[in-house]
Amino acid sequence: MSVEVSRRKFLQGSVALSVAGASAISATNLFSSEHASNKHQPTDSRIPSTITTKTGTGEAVEVATLCEMCVNKCAALARVENGVITKLNPNPMFPKSKNMLCPRGNAGIQAAYDPDRLKYPMIRTGEKGKGQFKRVTWDEAYDAILNGTDKFPGLAKILEEEKDNRSSMLFCAGEGMAEHTFKQFYQAFGSSNWLNHASLCLQTVVSGYGVTLGGYPQSDLDNAEYIIMAGANRAEAIVTPDTMDCFKRTKGRGAKLVCVDPRFTNTAAKADKWLAIKPGTDLAFVLALTYVVFTEELYNKKYVANYFNGLEDYKNSVITNKYTPEWAEKITGIKAKDIYTIAREFMMHAPKAIYYPGRRSTFATNDFQLRRAQAIFQALGGGIDTKGGLIFGKKLKLGKHEGLEPLYARAEARAVSKKDHPKKGESGYDDCAIVSGGGSWIAWRNRYLEDRMPYKVRGMFCYKHNPMMNMPNTKKTAQMLKKMDLVVTIDTMPSDTVMYADVVLPECTYLERTDPVKTFGGVEPSIAVRNKVIDPLFETKPVRDILRGLTEKISKPLFEITKKYDEDVQDELEDSDEAEVYAEFDLTLPFEGTQEEVNHHMVASVYGEEAAHKLHKDGVFYPDMDKFYKKIGANEHQYYPEKEKAYSVRGGKPKTPSGKVECNIANLASKGVDPMPVWKDEYNFKVEEGKFRLLTGRHAQFTQSGTSNNSMLHDLIMTNFIWINQRVADKKGIKFGDMIEVSSKTGSTRLKAYPTEKIGPDTLFFIHGFGEESSELTWAYKNGGNDNAVIEDVVEPVYGAAAMHETNVEIRKV
Amino acid sequence: MKIGPINIPLKEDFSLKSILGFEKTPMNMLVAVLTLAFLAMFVVGVATYLMHGHHAYNVTREHPWGLLIAVYIFFVVSSTGFCIVGSLGDVFGFKDYMMISKRAIFGSIVTILAGFAVIAFEIGHPVTMLIYNVLSPGLTSAIWWMGTLYGIYLTFMIVEFYFLLNNNMQKARIFGLIGLLVGLAAHSNLGGVFGFLNARTISNGVFYPTYFILTAFITGIYLSFIIMGFRYKMNFDEKTKALLVGLAKIQTLLIAILMFFETWKMLTAVYGGMPNRAEVAEHIMHSGAFMYGEVLMGMLIPFTVMLLTKWRSVTTYVWTSVIGMVGIFFMRYDLVHDTQLKPLQMMKTHEYQLPPSWVEYFPSATEIMISLGGLGLCVLLYYVGTRAFNLDEEH
Amino acid sequence: MARYGMALDYKNCINCKACEVACKEENGVELGAEKHRIWVGANNPDGQWPLLDIASAAFLPSQCQHCDDAPCQEVCPTHATYYDENNVVRVDADKCILCSYCMNACPYDARYVDDRTMTVDKCTFCSDTRLARGETTTACQNTCPTKVRTFGDLDDPESEISELLRTREHFSLKSHLGTNPKLFYLT
Repeated sequence: MSVEVSRRKFLQGSVALSVAGASAISATNLFSSEHASNKHQPTDSRIPSTITTKTGTGEAVEVATLCEMCVNKCAALARVENGVITKLNPNPMFPKSKNMLCPRGNAGIQAAYDPDRLKYPMIRTGEKGKGQFKRVTWDEAYDAILNGTDKFPGLAKILEEEKDNRSSMLFCAGEGMAEHTFKQFYQAFGSSNWLNHASLCLQTVVSGYGVTLGGYPQSDLDNAEYIIMAGANRAEAIVTPDTMDCFKRTKGRGAKLVCVDPRFTNTAAKADKWLAIKPGTDLAFVLALTYVVFTEELYNKKYVANYFNGLEDYKNSVITNKYTPEWAEKITGIKAKDIYTIAREFMMHAPKAIYYPGRRSTFATNDFQLRRAQAIFQALGGGIDTKGGLIFGKKLKLGKHEGLEPLYARAEARAVSKKDHPKKGESGYDDCAIVSGGGSWIAWRNRYLEDRMPYKVRGMFCYKHNPMMNMPNTKKTAQMLKKMDLVVTIDTMPSDTVMYADVVLPECTYLERTDPVKTFGGVEPSIAVRNKVIDPLFETKPVRDILRGLTEKISKPLFEITKKYDEDVQDELEDSDEAEVYAEFDLTLPFEGTQEEVNHHMVASVYGEEAAHKLHKDGVFYPDMDKFYKKIGANEHQYYPEKEKAYSVRGGKPKTPSGKVECNIANLASKGVDPMPVWKDEYNFKVEEGKFRLLTGRHAQFTQSGTSNNSMLHDLIMTNFIWINQRVADKKGIKFGDMIEVSSKTGSTRLKAYPTEKIGPDTLFFIHGFGEESSELTWAYKNGGNDNAVIEDVVEPVYGAAAMHETNVEIRKV
Repeated sequence: MKIGPINIPLKEDFSLKSILGFEKTPMNMLVAVLTLAFLAMFVVGVATYLMHGHHAYNVTREHPWGLLIAVYIFFVVSSTGFCIVGSLGDVFGFKDYMMISKRAIFGSIVTILAGFAVIAFEIGHPVTMLIYNVLSPGLTSAIWWMGTLYGIYLTFMIVEFYFLLNNNMQKARIFGLIGLLVGLAAHSNLGGVFGFLNARTISNGVFYPTYFILTAFITGIYLSFIIMGFRYKMNFDEKTKALLVGLAKIQTLLIAILMFFETWKMLTAVYGGMPNRAEVAEHIMHSGAFMYGEVLMGMLIPFTVMLLTKWRSVTTYVWTSVIGMVGIFFMRYDLVHDTQLKPLQMMKTHEYQLPPSWVEYFPSATEIMISLGGLGLCVLLYYVGTRAFNLDEEH
Repeated sequence: MARYGMALDYKNCINCKACEVACKEENGVELGAEKHRIWVGANNPDGQWPLLDIASAAFLPSQCQHCDDAPCQEVCPTHATYYDENNVVRVDADKCILCSYCMNACPYDARYVDDRTMTVDKCTFCSDTRLARGETTTACQNTCPTKVRTFGDLDDPESEISELLRTREHFSLKSHLGTNPKLFYLT
């Protein structure tokens, strides 16, 4: 029985949840709005008293914004009544999201009015990781970052001791429109250590397609006639516009959908065929498809002749290695007969056939090669840069915004570790073959813990990022955070990571801030903006304002340290005026002016004043929008007339430097990576007797740990359950709802059982993002199982991505 | 006692003292203590309800009707039963049954009042009901007819009782007849409340409206045995014995008919395996409440005992009637629960749930307390009545 | 006035429950498993892994069917349940006595108790929110990612829904009960 609890009650209720211990803070409830009601009267009335608020019929303001409940950035129109957001509606004008908001988008209101939100700047008073903080003013927080407290050192001390090695601070960020703003801080600060979500996310797929086709393409699912969706679950892991385009045409209505997934997902339920593949063996499946295409000469001969490099090498490799469907059947569990049929059907429909690239975390260590094989298979049908295939699309230009990238002589290069004596053809790095811009999170973390760093990294800035929840082996992440001298987190929620912070800077939610304007490429390109819907609640601020305040505090004092150690600066100072030199090192520069002003400039400078105004008002802009945009029906809008759509922008030519599809890349071989996709025995799916392969994944109602405390979404899925094959469960005496302990070498977690035939006998699955340990989260605290407490930190060899499906686990009913 | 033209002949010694002056036998003390305990429960139950509303009950979206509805039906069936038994003498003129008329009519008033007391805490807004029942009557609603007719019925019963007290048999007969007809109409409408549920195949149809009349009669006879046993402390004179033997014979016949009805209801429900009906009927037949409660206690035990003793052992029938009333309670409880057994929405609405199967329900403590409170109220009112009025036949 | 109905291209449905959340936020519906006005039904697929029956795993969005002959309206003792001027089945909270008869009578499990008013509540086709403001569609229709729903006036032969029902085969839920639902499932 779940009763509507008034939000006020929640706020009072969170008094009880208040940080324990330390008498110094007993009078201050840092996480509740206690003080808002005393000190900031107006703030309080801006919070609705109930979780949902029925929309009214009176006066209301409508603000165009972009959603941030996941990475898609769908357009929304926020309805504001008496200063309270009462509804988020889809903005029909955005070609990417086409008048839709998913359940999370609709539940965005609950992110803004989450009673557990971070409300004030805080600094640590207790033991690290215990979540004991005291509330401070913004200035005190900035001061603590610069000068430290008795509990932790500040930037001044760290940089002094590290002799102005700016790379002694790590910067990490989650995905988001303001990630760019934070990255400007990183660049101005002068560190080389940047870690973002990529290596925990889509690094290998983006790179695999990047090196093969010259770019990570989009899929024209609106026109494709045949879709292979392997290891992607668009019915649950919603991506716009793919999800909307795809499922309107499946089930015998224009597009045939083949779903390849170890689990029977909602996508499988919408498919014409579901193939239950063994986890991690997709590469064998694609190689066998390719084998059929080569041996039966089904490929698009004209396209291949024009746009392929190294085709013969690859063909030889595939054929001489005998990647036959019969061979693949043994590895993948997919019947050879099906592989023949799918290869033939795909090529029959090509180029209006798509092997869907997907955009997900790396699951297996062969993921980079899998993506290469997929891209080549797709290209064999000619479905590149063409209607109904993979497309590059068009991107609208935006004006420039000046950043600041000073050169610090003492700043060391990125903390990677090179091999002492690499053999010929071996990668030069310890962790992986190639170090990308986003770095390899788990490799970096592990090396940091093992003291295998070329220099000391002393602290970190962490923006909108939750390493405690988002990467395999939670224990190690906790150790890393504890080992850091100074951890500064900028976040909206008291996440597990925030609990390890020394200084907590509360950001406002996406509904309370304007973010950098963004251009969205594709078949129907447009520019969209996230406008501030309401003023920030409590004492929170947008990251831009936070960084402005912080840099105003630290810029000059840190420059003094640079002056002391940086010989280049010292030289410069001899010749020029200090103010002139400082201008190059003035960290406040990137944050001058409001975001609104910057956005206006970036649009107005290219499309004129009127366009900038229109964008602000409508949230969306593209040239000729007035002429093109039309409502056609209840469920259909025209954004561009058919002939204006950017299906093909290069006449089918890949975007690689050579303008060809790269089958055989010698450069990879020099780094110890296979130049062509091949299967290796070590890729085989292996599960010891009595164990299970653990799979993780997504759900339409949650976005990782970022939404785990959303009351509305929690109402849809109270907790995560572990999928176990029904017959296996019966044999083990496991019933629905039984508590199960899942354990691996890394650790263990507990959650309830969900026996189902939707998963095979040797695999287990549960949704990622649950089981947080932060007691400040009313709904998420210890709710369900945390996959990363169990998943082993297996490093994918090419980019150092975290391979998430390489862990075998044991289970036990408790 | 005279109020204007109305003359209510109270017993001369009626006072608080006479109420408390019952013989302190262990049995009487037990009943007294139980009654007081039930009344205390009623107060606690109602208080809990007033504080927490329906959250104090275990009723759900799928099972909106719970124990209180069953108990309400239990009381109004009892009332109708009393009314039928009471009518035998004073309406239909069977001389042998005249001696129980006044007592039975009083019983019918007491039981329906107890029923109303219980339902008042089940209906979310009883005051709104009184207003809009009149202002915007829902004439297609069986609940409207049932409620309205029971209201009228209660009025007639009170008037009839008044005339009986004043020994005005002529007028008592007229009001009794109308009251009986209204009562039967009300009661069959209560059956109609269930019979009209087209979506609930197990309850839908003619069965419940007719079954309700039949079981009301059976209930009336069970209750007659109990109140007469109570009145005569099991020492029956010849006249009373004759009355009870007659009632026992009628009861045997009625139970036989009921068993016949029930058998065919179940046979037709199961036959052909019709979805939403056959599996529900089978589920019902596998439940203890049906087999032990309804069939064994409500029908077989009293029926067999009466048959084996050839209707002569009337004191035994008082006890089998108590068992029979427990059976009757299960009939009411099952009627309500079984109607809602099968969910109307059989798909999963959340990923992590078992597919909907049978709807589970077990009453909450509050529901049980209010229900027992209704019983306490009923016993108290009846007992006070026996002290205030002469419920025996006047000579 | 109008006779509002909804056509559901239910094969588009991916069971994301955007409609359910949009409904709750728009209409201020309470949280809680029992308190939904609209929902998406799903079945566990028949069969055993890996040979599962895809056809048995369809998703069926559902809610009040706004029957032209609504059992809930017929059984209401106080006319608290009524047809509004647009033939939408509504509940007048002032008249509702919470006898719960309608909850038992509705063949679609579309009604629930709102704990704040302690009256029976249900889908209103957003009549007192969006339609009252002059908007032309419901929150669920508007937000649906795969565009399952079409809302409109069945009495207007020119409306999109009328055109859809003329040209696409469709069925209604439990139509054998004679309820004449105004929700139509397109096949």
